Amino acid sequence: MDYDVVVIGAGNGGLTAACSLAQRGVKTLLLERHNVPGGCATSFCRGRFEFEVALHQLSGLGPAEKPGPLRHTLSKLGVVDQLEWVEMDNLYRLLVRDDLDITLKADREAAIQTLQERFPAEKDNITAYFDLVYQFCIELITIYSSRDPEATPEKYPAYFEYALMDTQKVLDKFFTDPLLKLAVSIYWGYTGLPPAKQPFSDMAMLLFSYLELKPYHLKGGSQALSAAILEKFLQSGGEVRFNCGASKILVEDGRVTGVVTEHGETISTSYIISNASTISVYTEMIEPEHVPAEQLKKLGGSTIGPSSITLYIGLDCEPQEIGINETTNFLCASTDMEDAFTACWEIESHNDYTLVSCYNISDPDISPPGTSQVCIVDLKYGESWLNIPPHQYFELKEKVAGQILDRVEHYFPGFREHIEEIEVATPITHMRFLGTPGGAIYGFDQYAKDNNMFTPPRALIKGLYFAGAWAGMGGFQPTLTSGTTAARQVLKDIKRQAGVEI
Amino acid sequence: MSISEMQKMINGHARIAEELEICRKYGIDYYSQRGKWTQAVEKYHPRRLELRVSEKFAENADTTTLRLVSTSGYFPPFRAGQYINLFVEIDGICTSRPYSISSSPAQNAYYDLTIRRVPNGFVSDYLLDEIKVGDVLASTGPAGHFYYSSIHHGNELVFLAGGSGITPLMSMIREVTDRNLHRNIHLIYGVRKPQEAIFHEELLIRAQRHSNFIYDLAVSEPEPGYEGITGFIDADLIKKQIGDVSGKTFFVCGPREMYSFCIPELEKMGVPGRRIRREVFGTPAEVTKEPAWPKEVKADAEFTVKLTRGQVINARADEPLLTALERAGIVVENCCRSGECSLCRVKLQSGKVFQPSTALVRKSDQQSGYVHSCAAYPLTDLEILL
Ligand SMILES: Cc1cc2nc3c(=O)[nH]c(=O)nc-3n(C[C@H](O)[C@H](O)[C@@H](O)COP(=O)(O)OP(=O)(O)OC[C@H]3O[C@@H](n4cnc5c(N)ncnc54)[C@H](O)[C@@H]3O)c2cc1C
Ligand SMILES: Cc1cc2nc3c(=O)[nH]c(=O)nc-3n(C[C@H](O)[C@H](O)[C@H](O)COP(=O)(O)OP(=O)(O)OC[C@H]3O[C@@H](n4cnc5c(N)ncnc54)[C@H](O)[C@@H]3O)c2cc1C
Ligand code: FES
Repeated sequence: MDYDVVVIGAGNGGLTAACSLAQRGVKTLLLERHNVPGGCATSFCRGRFEFEVALHQLSGLGPAEKPGPLRHTLSKLGVVDQLEWVEMDNLYRLLVRDDLDITLKADREAAIQTLQERFPAEKDNITAYFDLVYQFCIELITIYSSRDPEATPEKYPAYFEYALMDTQKVLDKFFTDPLLKLAVSIYWGYTGLPPAKQPFSDMAMLLFSYLELKPYHLKGGSQALSAAILEKFLQSGGEVRFNCGASKILVEDGRVTGVVTEHGETISTSYIISNASTISVYTEMIEPEHVPAEQLKKLGGSTIGPSSITLYIGLDCEPQEIGINETTNFLCASTDMEDAFTACWEIESHNDYTLVSCYNISDPDISPPGTSQVCIVDLKYGESWLNIPPHQYFELKEKVAGQILDRVEHYFPGFREHIEEIEVATPITHMRFLGTPGGAIYGFDQYAKDNNMFTPPRALIKGLYFAGAWAGMGGFQPTLTSGTTAARQVLKDIKRQAGVEI
Repeated sequence: MSISEMQKMINGHARIAEELEICRKYGIDYYSQRGKWTQAVEKYHPRRLELRVSEKFAENADTTTLRLVSTSGYFPPFRAGQYINLFVEIDGICTSRPYSISSSPAQNAYYDLTIRRVPNGFVSDYLLDEIKVGDVLASTGPAGHFYYSSIHHGNELVFLAGGSGITPLMSMIREVTDRNLHRNIHLIYGVRKPQEAIFHEELLIRAQRHSNFIYDLAVSEPEPGYEGITGFIDADLIKKQIGDVSGKTFFVCGPREMYSFCIPELEKMGVPGRRIRREVFGTPAEVTKEPAWPKEVKADAEFTVKLTRGQVINARADEPLLTALERAGIVVENCCRSGECSLCRVKLQSGKVFQPSTALVRKSDQQSGYVHSCAAYPLTDLEILL
């Protein structure tokens, strides 16, 4: 065998998978079709700005004195200490037309207090809701981290009652004011489905983890993290090839035997961890006769998640000058979250919820003095972009960007006048750079049925593993973690095979 | 109790398991959709274009336009101002050069490249002298960020062109005038001698026909008695031709020296940076004359470059690493050849290179030793990861 393991794709999941393996002495090759590591977790330069592509608020890290699960994962890879982490004080500022302007601190008590001041009529319900979120998450963590063999509904009532309930039902149970419901659940944009479609466990864990462990960014952006993991991988003897996509995965008798690169080179290996989507792997990379029908059927049960319209903007003024005082801002045209979700299927941007991140608030070094870096995201499914006439693409893209900027201008007057650089990425752009079906940024839609509980990423083909958004959930913490999980499974199998041979 | 048994006790578990079964039973046939996303991207960003020279015509004594049609019949859309990187094989060496598309994106039947002869130019000579109608060439898809954006450039545009820098601006002028777009363009085209001006006749005609397009030719080395505008494009000349600069967006394209001269002039006049767009810098004609060049390294100094698989090649101090690699027959992706698009990135394992200040290298790349090989000149023997 040329390599023990070949990892396809150097996104978050691929990087942590490759790095964990190399650090355990496994002979690992990492293949990446782009010329930089990171996938979404990267940056690019325009004029005097270096734009962060994807990272807005890192979850799960936690301060050094109160480490979260992600800090443990990254510490094991040896990349935590050399990176400079930037802690954010606030969760977000939420602006709903002229009806609501609220900023929540990344602190349970403070957040509760702010909400209670704004929604005095629902004071007690607010406390009760946060109590539930906390109780639920602590139960969940206890069950899964301590592997409690006697986990029962009597012992863990919140978990068994709410884990698979949709978030909307829980919100309706606790609150009446639609503004309040929105104010505690706007983070749904970070997983892609609105509360009526999202399992409560996703919502609760998101809120809990940001409140308890704080949102983070890091100096140099997500690219600094990708670069650090890649460096560790190389230092541990790993090999990487950029501009070298994998085009085929070779399978014999139900077992992985190798991979063929886009340049036509065949590389033999018994294990592949794919950071490329399950859809590409099963429908394009493996010869159809080697793909079990059962596998395709499983695949067909999940739908492709959203992509986005992303605006990368460099302003020639300080953020405060135009009223941007928070790193994370959500702009909502109404409290109708289902409506906002429907808008994700439309090309144009009318009722979308818009995320406006300005990194300078928490990290003044992110752009040159006197400037600001702003990243604006509207979730959009890629499907609608597939069939537009190509000659209308540029016009359409500027039109949509213009619609988004009109809304931004409403909340931050003077914004447009200060634009020095702007890049607009559409789902087509994300398809191009990430190579994902539909340009999806979070993998599959995360309905309850798509949870690992029902849909584990296990492959029927031996030696084939997955890491990244398509192997579970999208987002930084889940994908970074999924790589080390996949690496652990591969190692276990390598050891088992060796044991059998002896 | 196993985890899956435990999970079955969760409220709603059976209902969701059933839902999943139904979703799978009537599931999506991803197999039948395979390739559709790649195909969508290919419409905009084909990896390579195959182009046939359909016409070749002289614009003036040292400039020729190649009219290229797509052998597949399909051309991706482009934005007026973008370029393609054209691949050539000359004397066994595979290399490439970026050329702006000078034709209008309002039509998609051909791309025009307007190429000016560069003294001793490796590729421009070849394109002008060797390439014939009917020849087939390969290129990248359209690339680059020197284009008009309706989002923030406004409707009052001033174009400052030097020499062959007129080409991307010509595409924009053709687009605006052909499609009657509501934008005003004032072009100041700087040349040494009037006969060097490319597209002169066409520019005059377009200016005559379209009230939203003004054309000024500025000649820096006029013959005695020349009656037009003379001098370099400096603050005074701009003020005289344009008047008030406020609210106007400037597009500057020309040789490297033009940027270092014109942009400070604009800044002197109070034009904010956000209203000045420039094309990429290209490569320095003589890198050893760059201010930061270490004097102890002579232009003709030769070094060795060791590659990952043990191969060793030679490289001159005054040539970009990319050129040395190409001379040795090694293919590295590249596009802008100006240090700005990052496509030619390679990792330096040991040794030192000179990088012109105009190279746009990301912080993390600088920290972990990545360089843009088209804008990295060897100062010592090198080892690279490739
Ligand atoms: C994830 C990602 C990584 C990229 N990495 C690089 C890089 O390392 N170097 C580089 O020069 N260009 C990078 N790009 C941009 C790309 O190289 C091209 O510049 C661009 O030509 C795409 O063509 P387009 O305008 O038709 O595509 P469109 O779909 O119209 O792209 C929109 C424009 O937005 C910019 N853009 C939007 N999103 C991103 C983003 N997330 N990252 C970077 N650019 C974005 C692109 O530059 C492009 O010009 C990257 C884009 C993406 C999405
Ligand atoms: C975005 C972009 C768009 C462009 N658009 C156009 C266009 O529309 N029309 C056009 O005519 N040109 C255009 N150019 C310039 C074009 O790409 C070529 O640089 C030009 O044609 C010269 O190439 P060459 O191979 O003939 O010259 P080269 O062989 O590269 O030589 C150019 C000059 O540099 C000297 N030289 C040669 N090799 C080196 C070296 N290795 N190091 C230092 N000096 C050297 C030569 O003596 C000569 O004087 C564009 C460039 C860019 C970056
Ligand atoms: S080719 Fe664009 S940076 Fe080198």
